[in-house]
Amino acid sequence: MTGEEKDCATCGKDPKWKQDFPIEWEGDHYVTRREMVKFLTLGSLLLAAANWITAIAGKLLHRGSHAVLYIGESSALEQTGSLLFRYPTDKDPCIAVRTPEGKLVAYSQVCTHLSCAVVFDKAENVLVCPCHHGAFNIDLGNPVAGPPTRPLARVKIEQRGDQLFATELEA
Amino acid sequence: MSVRTQGTTLFTAILILVGTTVVLQLWLLTVSTEALFSGQIRTLLPAAAGSSVLLLINASLLRYVYRFDRDVD
Repeated sequence: MTGEEKDCATCGKDPKWKQDFPIEWEGDHYVTRREMVKFLTLGSLLLAAANWITAIAGKLLHRGSHAVLYIGESSALEQTGSLLFRYPTDKDPCIAVRTPEGKLVAYSQVCTHLSCAVVFDKAENVLVCPCHHGAFNIDLGNPVAGPPTRPLARVKIEQRGDQLFATELEA
Repeated sequence: MSVRTQGTTLFTAILILVGTTVVLQLWLLTVSTEALFSGQIRTLLPAAAGSSVLLLINASLLRYVYRFDRDVD
């Protein structure tokens, strides 16, 4: 015990160590919890910002395409039952088919499971992925069998006379 | 019970609530990121809106803490 502390014991003042840490246990909890709430709210702000960044990134990355591209003749589609084309770039294989009701529909050929190319099964009237036997209905491109859980990306087709044009890739 | 002791109890409750909402926000961010990579962008906006609502709740609680401190002081 130093001389100063001895002096303080007699003079009624707090010892030096107590002067250095003036907050009592109860007050210490009080301050720490308040600081923690501030820290968590800051974290909450960052998380909300990250969520908005994700939402904006999603909008920017999946804007789809609105380029108009000639994809082939309608007669070719009637002969084979399906027409393969690439849209919007040469790296994006797509498939156009005509439904039994006569509606012309087109989808990305990339399977939403593991990116194999889907093909048209005329007998079953579905788009089939040969890799894992996934199947998509041709009306909406929704998965109906196998491992895929998400629908195929849809391509809008416009018929001008006998010519077919891809006009939009829906994200 | 002193005001300060009441405040300690209250702050514990607020801390638990804020902690829970932050965990919820973390979950929302995880879901958003997963949805972004799988191309399901319809999920992203509601998740961001939900996260903002939770942020508002947290900010309101923090404001309450500050006001409580000011009143006690």
